[in-house]
Amino acid sequence: MATTQAILVDITKCIGCRSCEQACKQIHGFPANTETKLSPTALTIVEERGDRFVRRMCMHCQDPACASACLVGALKKSAAGPVTYDASKCIGCRYCLVACPFSVPRYQWSKLVPYVTKCDLCAARLAKSQPPACVEACPVQASITGTREEILEEAQRRILGDSKYVKHIYGSDEAGGTSVFFISDVPFEKLGFVAAPKQPLPLLTASALGDGPTVILVGGALLSGLYWITQRRAEVALAEAREKSAKERS
Amino acid sequence: MSATPKTTLAKTARTKTAIGFPKISFWRTVVTLIFAAGLYSMYARFALGFKAATNLTDPQPWGLWVGLGTLCGVGLSAGGFAIAASVYLLGFERYRPILRTSVLISFLGYSTVCIGMMYELGIPWRIWHPIVMWNRHSVLFEVSWCVMLYTTVLALEFSPALVEKIPWVRVRELYLRWHHSILIALVLAGTLLSSMHQSFLGGLYLITKGRLDPLWYSPYLTTMFYLSAIPAGLAVTIMAIYLCVRSLNARVDMNILSDVSRVIAPLLAIYGVFRAVDLINRDALQYLWMWREETGLFWLEIALLVIAPLILLNMEKVRNNPQNLYWTCAIIVMGFMTNRLNVSITGLQASAGIYYVPKWTEFAATLATIAAAVVAFRYAVIYLDILPKNPPPQRLMVLGAPGKA
Repeated sequence: MATTQAILVDITKCIGCRSCEQACKQIHGFPANTETKLSPTALTIVEERGDRFVRRMCMHCQDPACASACLVGALKKSAAGPVTYDASKCIGCRYCLVACPFSVPRYQWSKLVPYVTKCDLCAARLAKSQPPACVEACPVQASITGTREEILEEAQRRILGDSKYVKHIYGSDEAGGTSVFFISDVPFEKLGFVAAPKQPLPLLTASALGDGPTVILVGGALLSGLYWITQRRAEVALAEAREKSAKERS
Repeated sequence: MSATPKTTLAKTARTKTAIGFPKISFWRTVVTLIFAAGLYSMYARFALGFKAATNLTDPQPWGLWVGLGTLCGVGLSAGGFAIAASVYLLGFERYRPILRTSVLISFLGYSTVCIGMMYELGIPWRIWHPIVMWNRHSVLFEVSWCVMLYTTVLALEFSPALVEKIPWVRVRELYLRWHHSILIALVLAGTLLSSMHQSFLGGLYLITKGRLDPLWYSPYLTTMFYLSAIPAGLAVTIMAIYLCVRSLNARVDMNILSDVSRVIAPLLAIYGVFRAVDLINRDALQYLWMWREETGLFWLEIALLVIAPLILLNMEKVRNNPQNLYWTCAIIVMGFMTNRLNVSITGLQASAGIYYVPKWTEFAATLATIAAAVVAFRYAVIYLDILPKNPPPQRLMVLGAPGKA
């Protein structure tokens, strides 16, 4: 995925103007109020953590837990970077909400035909070579976009070039790597970032699923074998009984 | 004066009814109330939506309907495949008398799970989507296919009980002959399908690494779900058969039940040892002695599911006394339910950062589905040949007696 698009959020630069929030709401046609938590009408929000401002949004994992969890394949990682959601497939099982290590997907609990909502990295805009609306709206370039390689290089350059930065790019190895990265001068755990597992989460279930065929083959063979023994025993018992009665008769 | 005889009559009538059917009228009231509450929950869920019917939120997207309805519903229905495999594949003929009952329980259990899905899914009319839209990387996809296929297998396994009531001999025999020819294949497929999805239900939570409490999160969640489902399913079978004998006039050799309990004990012991070794291997022993709600509920689960049953089943007077056995099995079932609710709710509360208490409508919907299954089970046992029944009750014999004399 050489052309995978990514976002870098530099927390040291964010001034908390919420332009990204509003741009996101505008492009989706949501009411222009300020929300404090991600919701079906707030796909990105800016949280205040002490004197820092932290953006929340879908991390667009390289190997997304939600996409592996979705039983109908409504969630997919596209080659261009975004993790997209096909509402026409969704059956509303909400396993994606359970699976997401960053607790990002939101559900329309109050609707009668509820869907999952989450940021799609403005996939439609990316396809037209436009940056995501939130990035475009940022007046101080706290959020920037580019290919994943460029963005990672830039993040690396910044944290190595300035001693104030925490020496970690959040998203570089979280959940096996994401397409949204954060750099900060305050430790990430103090800003409410979760310590997500460092491996791609779908690996955890893949090993269990990989056992499926083995279970069928070995279990099937074993059970058939046992059935054969049971059958054979019954046959032998029957034959013996017949022999016995034949002897008794003669 | 004139009123006195009437009152006496009324009184006698009332006492007679009271002696004749006190239990039934009590349970009928209970079932009616449950159905009424269930009806409202149905209205709330389908006409008003999740927000009105549940306390589910984004941090707690799966609640009682998944924890109790699906995880316990499927797990407690494991008796059917275990008994069918024992009789048909392993040749334990002594369990044959309870075979039909256990298959019926499983079938009804899976039916409640399927009905529960209608409540649980946000867009239930798309329940068929997994048939045509595949994601082989999803544990839930495998579970949904296994459950679909196994419910079909159970329906087929149970079908002779219905078909043999068909008055046309030809149809009946044709069907039964066909059924006989596929039976072993059905049982084999059923055993494999059950083994897979019982484990995969635990596998659903493998992806919650770092969020599910260390007391429950284990790479071996699959094995644990499998190991605990079989004894719990057998316990449900024992309970149901005991109730059939007690109140539906069924005739079952109680030794079979104590035989089954002799299997349950080692299965629970294996499960207990597996859990202990797993906790040691994951260095999770420190969590066993912390003063927190999770630890308390963990011990409740272990006490009910492993410790208490092992002590009780070790006693002769429990194994050989149907009533004691019944209550022991009830403890196992409660322990099992505690386990599944711990994995699906308790263990995820801390990381979700919220405290989820199900809304009453969630309880009512689940209870009503279970009650419907129990009622269906009752009528099946009464009207179909599920269990051998005792000769007609005494009053008929009394009626017949003067004729003979």
